[in-house]
Amino acid sequence: MTASRLGVAVAIVAVVAVLATVPLFSSDVIVQFGINALLLAVLAQGWNIIGGYTGYASFGNSVFYGLGSYGVAIAMVQWNLPFAVGMIFGAGLAVAFAFLLGVPVLRLKGHYFAIATLGLAQVMSAIVSNIGIAGQNIGLVLPPLNNDHLFYELSLGLLVIATLTVFWLTRSRFGFGLIAIRENEEGAAVMGVNTTLYKVLAFALSGVFTALAGGIHAYWITFLDPDSAFDISLNVKMIIMAVFGGPGTVLGPVLGAFVLSAVSEILSSKVTNLAGLFFGAVVVAAVVLMPRGVADVMRQFRTAGWRYFVENLRAHRI
Amino acid sequence: MSAILEVTNVTRRFAGLVAVSDISFTLGQGEILGVIGPNGAGKTTLVSLISGTLRPTSGDIVFEGMRITGLAAYRRARLGIGRTFQIMRPFPGLSVLDNVAVGALFGHGSGESDLAKARDKARTQLEFVGLGKFASQRAEELGGPNRKRLELAKALAMQPKVLLCDEVMAGLNLVEIDEVIDVLRKIRESGISILVIEHVIKAIKRLSDRLLVLHHGDKIADGQPDAVLSNSKVIEAYLGRRRA
Amino acid sequence: MDLLAQVLINGVLLGGLYAVMALGLALVWGVLNIVNLAHGAFIMLGAYLAWHLYTYLGIDPFLGLPLTAIIMFCVGYALQRGLLNLVVRAPMFNTLLITFGLEVVLTYLAQLAFSADFRTINPPYAGNGIALGPLVVPLARLMAFGVAAVLTVGVWIFLLRTRLGRAIRATAQNLVAARLYGVEPRHLYAVTFGIGIGLAGAAGSLYGTVSQINPYIGATLTAKCFAISIIGGLDNPLGVLVGGLVLGLIESLTVLYVGATFGDVASFGILVLVLIVRPSGLLGKTA
Repeated sequence: MTASRLGVAVAIVAVVAVLATVPLFSSDVIVQFGINALLLAVLAQGWNIIGGYTGYASFGNSVFYGLGSYGVAIAMVQWNLPFAVGMIFGAGLAVAFAFLLGVPVLRLKGHYFAIATLGLAQVMSAIVSNIGIAGQNIGLVLPPLNNDHLFYELSLGLLVIATLTVFWLTRSRFGFGLIAIRENEEGAAVMGVNTTLYKVLAFALSGVFTALAGGIHAYWITFLDPDSAFDISLNVKMIIMAVFGGPGTVLGPVLGAFVLSAVSEILSSKVTNLAGLFFGAVVVAAVVLMPRGVADVMRQFRTAGWRYFVENLRAHRI
Repeated sequence: MSAILEVTNVTRRFAGLVAVSDISFTLGQGEILGVIGPNGAGKTTLVSLISGTLRPTSGDIVFEGMRITGLAAYRRARLGIGRTFQIMRPFPGLSVLDNVAVGALFGHGSGESDLAKARDKARTQLEFVGLGKFASQRAEELGGPNRKRLELAKALAMQPKVLLCDEVMAGLNLVEIDEVIDVLRKIRESGISILVIEHVIKAIKRLSDRLLVLHHGDKIADGQPDAVLSNSKVIEAYLGRRRA
Repeated sequence: MDLLAQVLINGVLLGGLYAVMALGLALVWGVLNIVNLAHGAFIMLGAYLAWHLYTYLGIDPFLGLPLTAIIMFCVGYALQRGLLNLVVRAPMFNTLLITFGLEVVLTYLAQLAFSADFRTINPPYAGNGIALGPLVVPLARLMAFGVAAVLTVGVWIFLLRTRLGRAIRATAQNLVAARLYGVEPRHLYAVTFGIGIGLAGAAGSLYGTVSQINPYIGATLTAKCFAISIIGGLDNPLGVLVGGLVLGLIESLTVLYVGATFGDVASFGILVLVLIVRPSGLLGKTA
């Protein structure tokens, strides 16, 4: 490990340590904002595995989120099982879904994959609202646990594990296989990458983190219904955060989630009306000016300066 | 010379169009077999059928005595079949070194599981094809001739037993062609059997032990390069048109 | 039996409307390779436009439809020319995201301008129907169906018979093909997107006469348009008409035989199934 790498590692550990102590001296509002931001970062990071590293723009990650939420809710409400068992159950549902539907759906490319997963999310939402054990379209109410500090630390821990996993991807054979699939799937196959297996594993791994985030959120909010659990716009949010920060990078999605959460929090507290508009406008501007995310801007801006934005424009317009 | 690859009565149709029609041939252990033919003769389809990115409509492909006709592409790669693409397809966003490292990580056998070792092997292959100084560039930044070399290095890093080269010389100048011929000969000396598809007849004549000529999906000649190139059918189908 | 027949009638009429909703999405997707996530939002805007024309100026939604379509065409033209042309060569993610961003902005602006209240366009004949023995054909829906059929066939003829239409179809094969027809590609893209949005506007006028509108209907409508385009294919407006009819019938039948809450399961289930059975889309066009 070079000196600069060591520096980065130390800095990251320090940031995590500081984040871990936030609840000790912060107001409830900040802790609640923190839980939301951390969970969104987990979602963006989870999406990063299938979308950023493997190159499959999943709009079906909200299915994993919903399965994780309902896994916890059903286990705790209907079966009186502890939260931890519910988390495992939810993650298991996500893995099962990834394997059953991943095999056919991951054969699709580009827009078609995106739209098929979008369809799946809608189907799952509609199916769950017809299942008795899931409370149909009324939903389920979980036993309340008024311990925001615990939820905060759980969320932080999950984010750290998700990020370490993605870091491992960048230096493992498995991760190289995923990147090769993203860059050129046929080329990867003739070089010996079992593309079907790798894609499904990436989908499942992405699903596990997403489901766990959903499980924590469900227990924290103590209420869920099909519309909120399988919300497509949450899926779009994770994509935007990952893409805004830099898809296919280790820290980009986390950065994107934190920055965008903070901005929309500030906006919605100061100028309530403008938050939604701003969010849309940021997305439009970001796509036009920095299509490879903040992480790329930070790398390139030093050398290219403002030309960076102009060149992005030139590269993609007609 | 025993055969490492046997293609028997292979046919491939695309929606009514016959791209490859009832073709049989063998590739001997340590042989360099040249495949030529005008555009649309079915050369690239043939490579895709052997490497597994396409399945034949009928016929059989046997590699080292094992029937691989229906095997997935990645499994053929792990058995020891490497290929290059005519339309060069690097992993554009990866460094040149990591492009080749993918071959070392997967490839023949199940590859090298340690990333650092895979990169070492990749570096050796890059030096071998003369791309050593480009190792840290992104693959999409390479120019045409170097991309051809990169295709070779990627396939070689898989440590294949058979190498299928789809037009690795097209678009190169004479000096570059000589360099590639040298590299291919060295590859053969290391024990790898090679199937080369090429447009550049002069080069392939010099390089190949044997020539196979395809025309509209049919095999119209198979034999010693000199004999094949003086075959009247071949002249008519392929060379004749150029002379005219 | 009468019930089934009535449901079939409703399904077919609904399907015609669905077809014209999806027509613009399929055109833009097939030609420009832009999957427009804001398409439903443009339908919503078209519906509000028609509502305003009717409520404040007394223009009948069917008579005002050309006006709505032309205004929306101009909006679409300007948007493509000024914004989307900047990203047409960017990776797929980015065009998805930018149109999603537009969706958010449009929905928000609509909410600001029109409030979140439900609106309906209620011309005097809205409740009328034509009796066919025991069956009733709702007049407004029948008229919407007729307009939808005319529009679909019109677009088809335009694409096949006119020079501009041929240039647009050629562009679907190759982005710079427009030049072969002597059309500046930037202009051609803008025209194509404009037509797509104009059709969304027309669909919005029709939608407003048969259903309630509010600023949030866009996302669901976009999803339905996807399903229709996938079922019907992208290269032929008549395919979209078939896709719309299929979806309209399936939804109506599912609601009748399985239950109202399963309507969406059916439409999106069909979407996923079609994609899985024909991995490259029904017509084999890959992104």
